[in-house]
Amino acid sequence: MADEDEELSHLRASDAGEIDLTEETQDFRFLDKLTAGHDTSSLSLPKRGEKDFESHATNRQLDQLEASRQAMHSVLSWQRSHTQKNHVLAMYEPQSNMAYVDKVKSQHFQTIGTNKAGREWLLPEEALFLIERGTLDCRWPVKREEGDEANYKIEAGAPMSLQAAYAAFVGFEGGVGGKLTLEMYNVYAGLKRSGYVVYRTGTWEDDRGELVSLEPQTQEEVKPQPGLFTRFFSEIWRRLSEPTHTIKPEQLAFGPLIRPGLYRNYNDIFRLLQLIPSHDRTSPPSFTLPPSSDSPFRLHFDVYRTTAKFRKSARGTPDFRICVINARETTLPTGAQINDLMAQVPEDRPKEGEQLYKKLKHGCRNVILAVVDCGIPSYLRLADVPFSDERIYERSTKSTRGKGGGRGRGGGRGRGRGRGRGRG
Amino acid sequence: MAPSAAPTQVKEPFPISRIANRYLLFSIDIISHCRRNHNICGMLIGTIPNLSQQNVFLGIPLELMPEEARVLVEKGAAYIVDDEEVHRKTFGEMSREERLKWLEEVDKRGEEVTRGTENLKEMRKEKALKEKGLRRELLEKRECSVSESVASDATVQVEANEVSALGLGFIMKGSSFTDDSSIASASTVETALFDPRPTSPSPSAVSSTPKPATTQKHFVTPTTSYPPLPTPALDSNAQLPAVPKSYPLFRYLHSLGYYHMPGLRFGCHYNSYPGDPLRYHSHFAATGLGWDDEFDLLDVVGGGRLATGTKKAYMIGGEDASVVKKKASANAGAGLFSDYSQESDVREVRAFSIEWAAL
Repeated sequence: MADEDEELSHLRASDAGEIDLTEETQDFRFLDKLTAGHDTSSLSLPKRGEKDFESHATNRQLDQLEASRQAMHSVLSWQRSHTQKNHVLAMYEPQSNMAYVDKVKSQHFQTIGTNKAGREWLLPEEALFLIERGTLDCRWPVKREEGDEANYKIEAGAPMSLQAAYAAFVGFEGGVGGKLTLEMYNVYAGLKRSGYVVYRTGTWEDDRGELVSLEPQTQEEVKPQPGLFTRFFSEIWRRLSEPTHTIKPEQLAFGPLIRPGLYRNYNDIFRLLQLIPSHDRTSPPSFTLPPSSDSPFRLHFDVYRTTAKFRKSARGTPDFRICVINARETTLPTGAQINDLMAQVPEDRPKEGEQLYKKLKHGCRNVILAVVDCGIPSYLRLADVPFSDERIYERSTKSTRGKGGGRGRGGGRGRGRGRGRGRG
Repeated sequence: MAPSAAPTQVKEPFPISRIANRYLLFSIDIISHCRRNHNICGMLIGTIPNLSQQNVFLGIPLELMPEEARVLVEKGAAYIVDDEEVHRKTFGEMSREERLKWLEEVDKRGEEVTRGTENLKEMRKEKALKEKGLRRELLEKRECSVSESVASDATVQVEANEVSALGLGFIMKGSSFTDDSSIASASTVETALFDPRPTSPSPSAVSSTPKPATTQKHFVTPTTSYPPLPTPALDSNAQLPAVPKSYPLFRYLHSLGYYHMPGLRFGCHYNSYPGDPLRYHSHFAATGLGWDDEFDLLDVVGGGRLATGTKKAYMIGGEDASVVKKKASANAGAGLFSDYSQESDVREVRAFSIEWAAL
């Protein structure tokens, strides 16, 4: 796979910091750099291992491969153990395929779990992740036999093995109407390992996500009202600069787009040239497809960057929204599917005054697609780009006005004309 | 590529867990066995305990592509176990006796871990004392095996090796880790598993040494359910894993000894490696097609450029259904004992590699 010399080297800077180690089959011999001394403060990611192009049947090569395999074998045979002090016990709940914890002892619960009636309830992915990272000791419920009235503690249950945890939290999901797939879990765990705070978007219970309506626009009213005289003159200016020639649609078939006449402004001409209608982003979004439980395109996870003041009761707006799809079963989304996916995302406009290219890249709504192929996730960002809102001709006028504002000459119109002449 | 003996012998056929229609392996011995003897590497997707803040090294379970599971089952090396059913049966309806037995097993492992931690503590104490030149008589007594004459550098190194080995070893299950590391460091210094130089002990480790050895109980989360439970029996009615139509190409390349990884990163079906991806670079970005499938020339250009740019070759291949049919009928006619694979030189699967000449 991608190795330093294997990358599209002409496309990438040769900066070592840019190399994505996760893209590589890692040589487990380098893991000791992570574990040496168990001093967490000095942990650094190991350098990529050196690999060969092909076998040259030397003992040295075989020894190195053997050593890598040995190292991998030993690292993978680590066992999950809990000390008495950090022992977090959970009980599996077969009806909902969740787990609950009575005594919360770990700081993980600041970003995981929901408190209900004094108990911390863990969603399947949360429980599985905590088990997998060796934090949680989950127990199977004790089977009650006839006449068995004893009140069992959680401790009496059989501990769940990692294999059992996968079988239960991923395998039993379908049986209880849950929607967690292994792909979603892969994405969840990958993001958690990277240090993000991840929550489900909504409850996943209905067939599709919730429609997010437009937030009311309040900016218009904030503008201070100019005085009466200014308003009067600006009204005159507005009327004067308004396009005097409007074209009826039936005329378009014959006549020129721009008829001879008096134009005081290039913008008027550009406006007349704008013929192709574009998607109206001011109208509230709506779904185009009927709700269906097997549509893969819905929001799955809200992802937050870790911050000190994060509280799970008031999570705020997520930094990223993720939709997980399986590379082997799903094709590219259709236009309708993208529309429905975007309708579940609130508007996220780029900052004003940002560069044009950045603004376009950011889009006004965006979703991250996590495409998983047999355990390898790949993240793509889908953005709804409002090309029609970013008018190039208006932008240039604005920037010149900003520059010349101190000179006291009124209106951008006059200067626009002057500049146009100079150039023409 | 020469298969070397796996540390622990795995009895074939071994079970592959099917969970929610995905094929997973949980036993490290089976995972190693697949790598060494069946050139199948799969994808590690799990979190390594104690190293859960990184995405570079991943751990158990290992996810197999359906193609990989299918190849193993067709070879008779493995069989599919419906893990949901197994766990529903064994743990959902666990009798009191079974439960107590399971708890006992887990407790036993916990005790092992406790013992391991104690030993580690002892080792650390010894090391710390030794570095300060404070040899206690007790320690010397214990070291009767190490001769006093080499007590300087060499001893420190050996000790350090043992300490770091134990540092990892105590959280491992039974496998004889210390043996492995000593073998490896003995054969090639370069390939030693751990840095032979002792890392300076962190102050916390030193300060923790004077503490009285309070025996803390350890609880263990086993990795696999079987063992300790008996391995579920082979169910001959189990369905073969469903595979995409690129499977013939996969099977063909696999039969030639190639290792495979999912091709998502390079926009193909499989990345083919001439040997274990731990050691070798990938040679091909392979895409499997049907024999008469039409495909865009642009795909070939894109695939060829990308693959060449990453020092690979783009490969397309497919299975000629008519040859398969012909061979099957010839086979049926020739009887049971014919060697069908060598019968004619016409192969069922053909593959073509494409490189960008950049002229």
